Amino acid sequence: MATRGSNRSRLLWVSLLVTSLFIITLDLRGVSLLSSLRSGTQSVLAPVERLATRVFSPVGDFFSEVGNLGRSSEKIDKLEEENQELKSQVIFNENTLAQLESLKGVLDLAGKARYKTVSARVISKGGTGTFSETIVLDIGSDSGVRRDMTVIAASGLVGVVKSTTASSSIVLLMNDPSFRIGVRVAGKQDMGILLGQGDKNYSLQMLSATSAISVGDVLLARGSSGDKPFVPGVPVGRVSYVENTVGQLTKEGRVNGFVDLNSLSVVSVVLSAVAGDPGDALVPQAPRPAPTVTVFVTPSPSPQG
Amino acid sequence: MEINRLPKVLLIFLSLFLIQETLINQINFLVAGFSLYLTFFMAWVIQDQRNSAVVTGFIAGLILDLSPTLDAPFGLWTLVLTSMSYLLSSNVRAALDAELSPLVMLSVAVLASSFALALFLLFGAILGQEVGSASYLFRSISGNALWSALLSPLYIPLAMKLYKVTLTARQR
Repeated sequence: MATRGSNRSRLLWVSLLVTSLFIITLDLRGVSLLSSLRSGTQSVLAPVERLATRVFSPVGDFFSEVGNLGRSSEKIDKLEEENQELKSQVIFNENTLAQLESLKGVLDLAGKARYKTVSARVISKGGTGTFSETIVLDIGSDSGVRRDMTVIAASGLVGVVKSTTASSSIVLLMNDPSFRIGVRVAGKQDMGILLGQGDKNYSLQMLSATSAISVGDVLLARGSSGDKPFVPGVPVGRVSYVENTVGQLTKEGRVNGFVDLNSLSVVSVVLSAVAGDPGDALVPQAPRPAPTVTVFVTPSPSPQG
Repeated sequence: MEINRLPKVLLIFLSLFLIQETLINQINFLVAGFSLYLTFFMAWVIQDQRNSAVVTGFIAGLILDLSPTLDAPFGLWTLVLTSMSYLLSSNVRAALDAELSPLVMLSVAVLASSFALALFLLFGAILGQEVGSASYLFRSISGNALWSALLSPLYIPLAMKLYKVTLTARQR
């Protein structure tokens, strides 16, 4: 038999559940108050995330370097202190150099295709509880970034801008399970759809029954109308496996993405594609094998005695 | 829940949300990720009385729904955490000893947070959300369980201590 206390708590639970369902219904019906609550939170979090990135990234590396210290002589302490300062400086410089290198790479890519871009630093990532693969950038609508703009890194596509505030923006990464992009096989006109799978492998579905794909083919973004959400020509990935099942209407396969989405520090948001479709200009060059030197030895005729 | 406990609970979960969003989310965990917020919540709620657990679940869910990187409808985490808090404080708590050992709390935190993630996915799928491949979901949930177990010496004592701080003199 239920007590009065348990009845009361059951009533409280049911009323809170109904309230949650009411909130969900409001959100699904597009009540802007709820979506502005999230963007308001992003505006509050962005400066803290920026600060945390600045402090956390060099300090995280710095702590791993400190473990070997422990002697007590004053001189050694002083020298070690100087040494640590220099080490942290070196770590900081390495960090900056790595970011500069990424920036140079992404600017090279954007320059080749004549994309008008704005560069940004990654200040945070989406958490486990969100089940969506996202990153947060330190620039927003003040820098011209708008929803549905393409985001690229030095080696290719990263994702698409999902939402912006004045000083930050959230990017849906291309490995998110809800991510879809129309792709084209470089050098051909065969088209397909690439789907995010949550990891570094992507699923590819070709559109036409006559499309031929093979392992090693490079896939490029096909582009969208008005260049939103995707500008054309951005390298997406390389085909790693092709399914050959009898009776299949169209070819399917798996793709390895060009960009390592777990180690992004600097990316660029494409504001516009000035020169239109760059075609296959951005296809990454296959590594050239090192030339092998072959020496032919021709034996000289031995003097016959 | 007594009204004078409410500001303290709100402050604790807001601070935790800030830590999760600005620091923990920046760490590259080897396998999937770790939700300190979720596991801390489970370790908290298992200690709580039924009424206050349900209110805490509702508040914690509302805060988690504020996450800007979340793609699910607003209120989904509120629904999940309110349900979980009732389940834990009435059904699970009744089956456990009055004095909770750290091992019991660890098991509850790991299993309940995995169950909450699965429930979130299920409700999300019913509402038309993309949930991803089975391997991705398995990796995400088991990765969170692994880190929840490994990092439990850090957050379980914290959850126990902070829970006691919020209690009124009469409740202690």
